[in-house]
Amino acid sequence: MGENKMMGSNNNTIISKYIFSTDHKVIAKQFMALGTFFLFFGGAMAMLIRWQLAYPEQKVPWWLLGFIFESDGGIITPDMYNQLFTMHGTIMIFWAITPLLIGTFGNFLIPLQIGTHDMAFPKLNMFSFWTMFLASLVLLSSYILPNGAASGGWTSYPPLSSPSGGIPGLGQTIWTLALIIMGVSTMMGAINYIVTVVRLRTPGMDYFKMPLSIWGLFLASILNAVFVPVIAAGLILLLLDQTIGTEFFLAGRLASGDPGDPLLFQHVFWIFGHPEVYILILPVWGIVSDLLSVFSRKPAYGYKVTAIAMSTVVALSSLVWGHHMYTTGMSPLLGKSFMFLTLLISIPSSMFFLNWLGTLWRGSIHFNTPMLFSIGVIWVFGLGGLTGLYNATVTADIYLHDTMFVVGHFHYTLAASVMLGSFAAIYYWFPCMFGKKLDSRLGKIHFWGSFISLNYVFFNMMAVGYAGQHRRIYNPSEYSFLKHLSGMNEWITIFAFLLGIFQALFLFNIVWSLAKKEKSEKNPWHATTLEWTVGYPIPHGNFIHEPIVFNGPHEYSRPDIPNRDWLGQNEDKDDFIRD
Amino acid sequence: MNTIFNRIKLRHLLYQGIWFQDLPKDVSVDGYRIDNVISYTDLVISIYFGIVVALLVYFIFQYRSSRGHKAEYDHGDKRKNVMVTAGLGFLVFFSVDAVIETMAFKDLREAFWNFPKGENVVRVEVMPQQFAWNFCYPGPDNEFGTEDDIIPTQNQMHVPVNTPIVIQLASWDVIHSFYLPNFRVKQDAVPGMITPLWFQAKETGVYDIACAELCGNSHYKMKGYLTVESEEDYQKWLNENSPQETDSDGWDDWEDDDSDDSGIPENWSWAWEKIK
Repeated sequence: MGENKMMGSNNNTIISKYIFSTDHKVIAKQFMALGTFFLFFGGAMAMLIRWQLAYPEQKVPWWLLGFIFESDGGIITPDMYNQLFTMHGTIMIFWAITPLLIGTFGNFLIPLQIGTHDMAFPKLNMFSFWTMFLASLVLLSSYILPNGAASGGWTSYPPLSSPSGGIPGLGQTIWTLALIIMGVSTMMGAINYIVTVVRLRTPGMDYFKMPLSIWGLFLASILNAVFVPVIAAGLILLLLDQTIGTEFFLAGRLASGDPGDPLLFQHVFWIFGHPEVYILILPVWGIVSDLLSVFSRKPAYGYKVTAIAMSTVVALSSLVWGHHMYTTGMSPLLGKSFMFLTLLISIPSSMFFLNWLGTLWRGSIHFNTPMLFSIGVIWVFGLGGLTGLYNATVTADIYLHDTMFVVGHFHYTLAASVMLGSFAAIYYWFPCMFGKKLDSRLGKIHFWGSFISLNYVFFNMMAVGYAGQHRRIYNPSEYSFLKHLSGMNEWITIFAFLLGIFQALFLFNIVWSLAKKEKSEKNPWHATTLEWTVGYPIPHGNFIHEPIVFNGPHEYSRPDIPNRDWLGQNEDKDDFIRD
Repeated sequence: MNTIFNRIKLRHLLYQGIWFQDLPKDVSVDGYRIDNVISYTDLVISIYFGIVVALLVYFIFQYRSSRGHKAEYDHGDKRKNVMVTAGLGFLVFFSVDAVIETMAFKDLREAFWNFPKGENVVRVEVMPQQFAWNFCYPGPDNEFGTEDDIIPTQNQMHVPVNTPIVIQLASWDVIHSFYLPNFRVKQDAVPGMITPLWFQAKETGVYDIACAELCGNSHYKMKGYLTVESEEDYQKWLNENSPQETDSDGWDDWEDDDSDDSGIPENWSWAWEKIK
């Protein structure tokens, strides 16, 4: 009887409505809470890393939570430092960006923008979130181990990450386990998104009528579904190495029998790892393409070209992993091929990049907060993309590989572009998700503060890398060729703190705007896509009547419609022309 | 909060905070090739990024709604538009990517993968371990793995100036990376693999050797010194480090000691692999 009550019509308990909910909008908010928590967690670790690089082996001040380090005399030890950058990378990539972009906006937007009632598999969706939650607990549990969390880098290359690699304790094993569980969650999500997009589009919603955000999320899910199993397999082998003494990735002195191959792990890791960077950035490309169109009041320039170019990048992204391994000593012929394939990516990338500029061209540009962030993405992604050329070049990469230049480059593409893109999305869809508008004055301060400080931080990270500073070193002043960089490292740190402060402002904006009484109107941005046709709160099941789609997603400023500069996807243009 | 302001030294802003850094001084014969590729990339991406920013700024001011500009209903999907976008994409590819690729492949063919042969080549075996660099020179018989091999103090590498140096790199435990910033050299040392590399110094002096691949908690301290010196000084240094026939405290001891992992590796050194 009791079980019946739980499973039956009793849909309104707090537990079923807000915790174990199968509603994609609730799950999106759950992912948003998880992602935001880890974004600030990972960000705090970045601050500590920067502290150590600017003021090596000095006492951590109280406002950076110095009391954590009290047992070590208030300073960050080398072991602790390695844990910090390892967990910063792992958490930001897998626990902050992925849940924020794919978990939150994948869940929220896909059913609403393609006009369906929910995900194809609502229970799997719920299960995906709670598996992610479990993975989070496993990951965080490594902090209470006597020797602390993992410290082998977010790449966790064996043999260093194997027990014989010399890292004490269980942190590395827990890390592997947490990532495997996270992978399971990601795979469940990816399958769900793909099936939903393929099977549940509302009548009239052709592939080429989908908003580009959906294109980005859809392509990212395909990459997730194909490549997460690869890393999962690699991690399972690594876990066996770590726990039952197999030697898949051990060689030389560390192997007792027939040697395994440490490079095999790197291949497996980067076969997944390079598509992973596109998994993170694809949703942003799509979202920015849409938002530029909304706030320029003009159709997205070359919509089909953008969609096809993004798909081409997805296809190419699976063929370029070797550019992470130029200096490993793999076959020189492979190096050449990987360089060529990597450079090919610049053709489709420059095409959709030009389309972004084309959207602005002859538009009517409104500088709302989401638009500022989207324009910011054009800037940072332009820089991030172009600086990738150095790393794609076999010879230049001999010098720049494993330096701060690489760190600056991928922070431009991943941290800067993805952060600005996520913020654009949050400012834009906040009224749809919570029925309130985020404060635009605070939003603009947040934009300018973040934009200036993150450019200072990431550009100068590249500059110190250019000067030779290699990454993951505890104290750069150990080396005579890096001594003159201490001033610059200090300044990067100061701007990194500023960047952190502006994010606190963002958190304040969210809390403050949620507390405001004033409700947002139904379609505050006069957007054409389907999610704005349902007022807040959107009920479980989304649409009362299945919407029918007549138009593409970017029908702005049509000359044949009087008195209105947009035409919703579900609106028949004849209704307006006749009026 | 006061602490942070005390720590900020204003002079840093004046001359260290805001401008570009230079690459470290190049003292190798072929390092200029890498510097050239980097400079070319610097130049072209600055131009392209400059154009993008100029367009962006122009569009933002010209087409802002507050200026009353009405948007044009244009999907940009006509044949002509697509051709222009694709054309510009290929222009970028051929003016940047193809040039860089040609330069890089030429440098690889002519220098980095063109290993020097002949009598005057100095051969060194390098084996990093957590957290030190071990070096081995073949000694008078020019053969590795023999009694007269010269194994100097850890972290000390000496090479003669203006002579090609061919190195074979292996690792004793985890992955390390042999990084000579002043020579534009970086090569991973992977357990189970023997990896060749070569360079030639053109100026004497003492330069840093760093480990570029995370190898554990003292990764940052895994530092060596490369002394580039004249041929005479180099020979003198080799003689000073030669194993003494009568001295039993040489490296032989380590070979017998198979229980201790902390010292110089016991299977030091391996037979020199032929470079194809």
